[in-house]
Amino acid sequence: MPASTLRIWVFIHTWTSLVCTVFLLLICLTGLPLIFHEEIDPLVDPPPVYVQLPFDTPHLSLDSLVGRAGGMYPGEVIVSLFKDDDEPQVLVWMAPSFAAIEENPRLEHFIRFDARTGEVIDETKPPEQQRTRFLTLMLRLHVDLFADLAGNLFMGAMGLLFVAALVSGVVLYGPFTRKLDFGVVRGTRAPRTRWLDLHNLLGIVTALWMLVVGATGVLNELASPLFDLWQRTDVRAMLSPWQGQTPPAPNELASVQAVYETATRALPNMHVITVIYPGNPFGSPHHYVLWGHGKTPLAERLFSPVLVDARTGELTAVVQMPWYLRALEISRPLHFGDYGGVPLKIIWALLDLVTIAVLASGLYLWLARHRRASSSGRKHLPGPAATALPEAAE
Amino acid sequence: MTGRHSPFWRQWRWPLGLALLTMFGLMSALLGEGGIWWVLSWIALGFPLFVALRHILRSRRSQAAG
Repeated sequence: MPASTLRIWVFIHTWTSLVCTVFLLLICLTGLPLIFHEEIDPLVDPPPVYVQLPFDTPHLSLDSLVGRAGGMYPGEVIVSLFKDDDEPQVLVWMAPSFAAIEENPRLEHFIRFDARTGEVIDETKPPEQQRTRFLTLMLRLHVDLFADLAGNLFMGAMGLLFVAALVSGVVLYGPFTRKLDFGVVRGTRAPRTRWLDLHNLLGIVTALWMLVVGATGVLNELASPLFDLWQRTDVRAMLSPWQGQTPPAPNELASVQAVYETATRALPNMHVITVIYPGNPFGSPHHYVLWGHGKTPLAERLFSPVLVDARTGELTAVVQMPWYLRALEISRPLHFGDYGGVPLKIIWALLDLVTIAVLASGLYLWLARHRRASSSGRKHLPGPAATALPEAAE
Repeated sequence: MTGRHSPFWRQWRWPLGLALLTMFGLMSALLGEGGIWWVLSWIALGFPLFVALRHILRSRRSQAAG
């Protein structure tokens, strides 16, 4: 590689890394507990205790659970239902009105029913009793720095810089290790050489993993813009025949149990787990929207929506998900590392720690070089790491 | 640039091999349904970590010896 080309790659690698390093360190540190959220959650928030009943005890009709919820909060609207496919629980989400939750999403609250007995297991705590949990804090710092969409886009941009740093790092691995055996960490040389060897070794053995987790992370940051895009294009087009019609009043709605059964028939080989009520901003004014997911480990992560007419309870359509949302769904496990049992999570955590070491050693290399350059009074060549070139490109 | 003993092959066989193994590890747990596919995934994704650790330990040993 000619020296001028090499300098350009060094420049790209140095600056893409430097800009994103602090944020990437934060992402790696907060990601560590998030890998184990399924193990930590039950410790923080004990799971519901169910009364012992025979395995095949039938579940109550959703209509009766919704009726009970309505009796507990007269005058409120049902926002959505969650019918668990693992445990005998149904969550009924309610709110003062749909307009109210568009103003303040925290007004939404749930009642958790035992699906077999109709007993209330528990409810959302009132807002003043809700505290920010440790994992929620970690998640916000990981995903959006408490800045919602702006934070998503910013962290997504940091992720893109990280991907650029990885690609340029792999390109530079060639000229920088050409004369060395693979994996050699020269222990007898200066500390900078040792750290450079370590940076190269740890970086190259985990490069593909970092690239996959980085790229899928960027895709995840785009989840809400992509979902918005889908709602404004495909979903709007699908709902255009109903535009201008009067939405059904709450007392005109078809039986939710019948609607649930219609959707289950429309999605064979899937579990229908969510019912979005008509009027919900994430649904349609004229339809129930039901979401089902597959039953195998991979298909479980692929969701399909069904539209059911809110008045008649008849099937309107099984909706095809656009490719970009499918890609997002498939990218999730590859980012979370939650698809191969606890050993995979431990490996994920170790790889995360190696990533921290690569970032930290990179930062050290830059600082050490900087110190050396300024103490010797040398002028900077184009590219801040240019003084590292001669020994590598000799 | 090609052939078993070329400089390219000498320099890149480990990085490429580990990248292939990582790819296999990521996919086998995702597409395979539990059982042996999970175990293969743990081995495939754990191996690069093992390789790095071995090289680091080796350098420390030679440092201590030298």
